[in-house]
Amino acid sequence: MTRFTKPFIRRSDAGAWRPTDLSVQIVTVVVLLAAWEIASQLGYLKVYRFSRPSKLATTFVHLLTVGFPNNITVWVHIKATFLRIILGFLLACACAIPLGMLIGRVRVIERMVDPIVTFCRSIAVISLLPLAIAWFGVGELSRVLLIFYGCFWIILTNTIQGARYVDPVMIDAARALGCRGPGLFFQVIAPAALPRVFAGMKIAVGMAFMVIIAVEMIGTIEGLGALIQQARTFYNTSIAIDGMIFIALIGLGISYTLDRVERLLLPWNVKDAADDG
Amino acid sequence: MGDPPRYLRLMPWVGVAITLGLWQLVHVMEWISPVIFPGPLVVAQAGFLGIPVPRLLEHMAASLMRVSQGFLIGAALGITLGITAGWYRGIGNVLRAPIELLRPIPPLAWIPLAIIWLGLGEASKVLVIFFGAFFPIFTNTYKGMVNTDPILMKAGMALGLKGWRLMWQVAIPAASVDIALALRVGFTYSFGAMVAAELIAADSGLGYLIMNARDFGQIAVVIFGILMIGTLALIVDFALQFAIARRLRWMKFG
Repeated sequence: MTRFTKPFIRRSDAGAWRPTDLSVQIVTVVVLLAAWEIASQLGYLKVYRFSRPSKLATTFVHLLTVGFPNNITVWVHIKATFLRIILGFLLACACAIPLGMLIGRVRVIERMVDPIVTFCRSIAVISLLPLAIAWFGVGELSRVLLIFYGCFWIILTNTIQGARYVDPVMIDAARALGCRGPGLFFQVIAPAALPRVFAGMKIAVGMAFMVIIAVEMIGTIEGLGALIQQARTFYNTSIAIDGMIFIALIGLGISYTLDRVERLLLPWNVKDAADDG
Repeated sequence: MGDPPRYLRLMPWVGVAITLGLWQLVHVMEWISPVIFPGPLVVAQAGFLGIPVPRLLEHMAASLMRVSQGFLIGAALGITLGITAGWYRGIGNVLRAPIELLRPIPPLAWIPLAIIWLGLGEASKVLVIFFGAFFPIFTNTYKGMVNTDPILMKAGMALGLKGWRLMWQVAIPAASVDIALALRVGFTYSFGAMVAAELIAADSGLGYLIMNARDFGQIAVVIFGILMIGTLALIVDFALQFAIARRLRWMKFG
């Protein structure tokens, strides 16, 4: 067996033909799916609890065309989920970025809000659900505000750090060149803080997507979280699993899009992504 | 940079005092109806005097038990499989294929399926919490193992280490920074999953406490419970940071 740490990869690749990583992975997945299907056909796995791949495929098409429940197709669910995330997220950006810039540049304020920010960030967003329902009812407002809360603190902490740790040499250089006031802020500090702000925005979207799924399990029938929760109520395992597949696909789509946007906006900041490959 | 000047060191306390003061002011001036927006004193009173202390401790213990069961199983399995997958290429491929496919599913999305499989009892909650911990811990451990500095490996081999000892004495210590970070991330996810699971179906724990208080319209208890959840998460995170900093002193952590 070959070790997978870096120095060994090159050496083993130079040798005789061996199966590529990808082919082994594909075979593994196919074998697992086949085992699932066969175990289900032979009755070792109960269909109503574990479903089976062939049934998942037909249910998948059914969800896309007919929908569940009451003819709500999966597109309606996706749209509802997206709208909630985007509203809460944009609201959080609009509040957190200016505020974070201010806090990050003024030492006294930064020290003052530090314990509050730390504490508010550590509150699990989902625990605010009962309070949001009590304050704003079981409507859209509650859901959007929860997303807002979660995104706000993540973007805020990242913006504060981005604004705070701007290289002082850059600021001194800009000052020496006669840049001050708003010019200094918009031309030096804001661009220098931007990669950090963007990192915060990425984390925030990921978090929002996780939280919205749970938030939608209470008090609504539209949204991906509602879809899988409804599936459970009707004991429909196939729809629950297909719903999870949709959720995973959309999560992957979001993180892929954000990576592309980051490359476009901040081409000097793709070092991390390159390291992975 | 050195120590901040004295007035700066006092500022965090000033900030907390101002926040609590403003909160109390909104309450006293009744800008928002005190029924739906109780002040800090009312919240503290409702929490510490309104709920019998042993009951409160029971709820906290129930939450902590749940989250630590799921988290510990997830961490143990995630680290073991992550190290194995990072060390043996073949096993790594076989393990990573299904794990990478399941990883994009948020832990909370497992709740309905976990309930279908395991019922409304304790097992389904522990399963969801387990998923919260397992995936980030597995992937980061794997990454840490695979990204071990080749120079360290060569140095270890030049000094006569191979096989298990090379893994145990070079690769795993080199990956331990990633593993430490993974543990903290995993705990945050586990904790969120625990709260969500308790909100949706439970008869004990802090999540149940606040959901139950909401049903009776006791907003003060709801706020108290939320603050308790935040405090608990903060305490555990500090404890993890502290333990990690002590274990990894040689890495000049933090």
